Amino acid sequence: MSEHEAGAVTFALKGRIDSLNAPEMERQLMEQLAGRADAPVEIDASELQYISSAGLRVLLRVKKTNPDMTITGVNSDVYEVLDMTGFTELMTVEKAYRTVSVEGCEEIGRGANGTIYRIDRDNVVKVYNNPDALEDIQHEREVARLALVLGIPTAISYDVVKVGDSYGSVFELLNASSFSKILATEPERMDWCVKEYVDMLRKIHGTLVPEGKLPDVRLTALGWAEFMRDYLPEEAGAKLVALVEAVPHDDHMIHGDYHTKNLELQNDEVLLIDMDTLAVGHPIFELASIYNSFVGYSEYDHEVIRRFQGFDRETGVTFWRKSLAAYLGTANEMKLREVEDKARVVGYTRMIRRSIRRRGLETPEGRAEIDLWKSELLELLERVDALTFDPDELELEAVVENLPYVQEFIDSHLEKTGCPPRAQMQIGLAAEEIFVNIASYAYAPEKGRAKVRVEVSGDPVTVTITFLDRGMPYDPLQKEDPDVTLPAEERDIGGLGILLTKKTMDDVAYEYRDGQNILTLKKKI
Amino acid sequence: MLNITNTFEDGIARCALEGRLDTVTAPELERELRDAIDDATELVLDMEKLDYISSAGLRVLLAAQKAMTGKDGKMKLTGVGDIIMEIFDTTGFSEILTIE
Repeated sequence: MSEHEAGAVTFALKGRIDSLNAPEMERQLMEQLAGRADAPVEIDASELQYISSAGLRVLLRVKKTNPDMTITGVNSDVYEVLDMTGFTELMTVEKAYRTVSVEGCEEIGRGANGTIYRIDRDNVVKVYNNPDALEDIQHEREVARLALVLGIPTAISYDVVKVGDSYGSVFELLNASSFSKILATEPERMDWCVKEYVDMLRKIHGTLVPEGKLPDVRLTALGWAEFMRDYLPEEAGAKLVALVEAVPHDDHMIHGDYHTKNLELQNDEVLLIDMDTLAVGHPIFELASIYNSFVGYSEYDHEVIRRFQGFDRETGVTFWRKSLAAYLGTANEMKLREVEDKARVVGYTRMIRRSIRRRGLETPEGRAEIDLWKSELLELLERVDALTFDPDELELEAVVENLPYVQEFIDSHLEKTGCPPRAQMQIGLAAEEIFVNIASYAYAPEKGRAKVRVEVSGDPVTVTITFLDRGMPYDPLQKEDPDVTLPAEERDIGGLGILLTKKTMDDVAYEYRDGQNILTLKKKI
Repeated sequence: MLNITNTFEDGIARCALEGRLDTVTAPELERELRDAIDDATELVLDMEKLDYISSAGLRVLLAAQKAMTGKDGKMKLTGVGDIIMEIFDTTGFSEILTIE
């Protein structure tokens, strides 16, 4: 029952191996291996029904003389024994795969590496694009298990099958419906979907991953940025790489392909089903991929999203905007735009690279699409200075019309601290004065950007508001105070704002540092 | 946001302000007051529902006061709350405006 092959010794095991026939099996094996120590051993287990510990001990003895051992065609019962006893970690164990057909099955999900079909009422199969997917499957099982242990609700595959020439992994998924399907068929549930989607996203981003367990998305993104250098003007390319490099390392989980086809509702429970892109990193990389799924990929051809998600572009754009607002916990249009711009920098980089690698430059439509994304990217690279974002900081164009967004941003922070109305109004007044000054003079006659930071700290509670701009150096505190005792006819109408600011704040300070005007207001509340 | 409600009767223009009088909304008030200043002998600004006033708002009030005085008319403010009153005090406006 054994035969020589070039280099490897192969040996077939059949039926049941227990303490009665194990000695005979060992004798035959040893005969086969005589003088062939260290040769690779391949054991064909496709007709093996059962193996007891006596049989396993024989395998262990063989492994001592011939450490390179592979067992193939293992059925699921035998696999369970090998798995439980730790043999799957000692040697290469390849399962026997049953065959499943997905012909006529409903497609319920699609991820970066495969497509998910429902094969019966209770089960789905994820068919991998890569025909040589066993390693991918193993990887996805490992990360899904890791995610589950860390508290992320997900389905873990219980079987690997052959689907045509590809491999698939089988999951139990009862009565489930993807969020894409819900959005497409029950548009009135949009807000509910947004809430569940964002709750899950927060849960993922709040999960700390033990070091080294998942890849770092920042390194992946750095690869995309480096790739783009060949296709961008030198300065823009260098800035793109520098922006990605400047993102700090983050050990929190990100999903990497978080769109609504990968989120399932199963009997009132929300489950993630596509885990192979799991990584660690800053949330901006996740937001970039979410932007692409709902907005970016269908920017040129609006039908793309219908083909992929089953709903129209308007639904996608609305879902993105609502989800971003819920995720950031603000409806402030300028704050949303600031973070969206940062996400788009990474998003366009990724899409352009992907399209070029898929020969996008070789067709007129592909070129038009890449040109559109590239012009957006170049425009963003002119004004985006960092990819990170901070809930206590708002960056926006310094124009008077944006004052309400600055006020809303400050007010929403102050309301959370229980700031008394009097102090809130005084802070509002001072902030208005400073922002309007920047908007009117800092960049005139051009336009530029400003940053507003709100910090609340200490005892007594102190609110600190910092304004930063890169305009002309100018210290508004140097201006002489107006005379407030003059009668109306003699009063000039300038200077009152700065006067109010100085009188109502506990501290007002100006400095010019690193090419920035920095004006700080402090108020005890 | 600033809501402005105008009424005109017997030469008296009444203007009720609601919301915020700031850099963005002050030009609206300035426009609204232009006709009142031309036509009325007295201008009454009801500030009961005004939550916020910044220096841009103060400028509009000062300009209106100057214009009314210039044509021998009168201007007064009613319903001024504590918080806004404090700003009038700080800037000396409580001395130059008629506040009821």
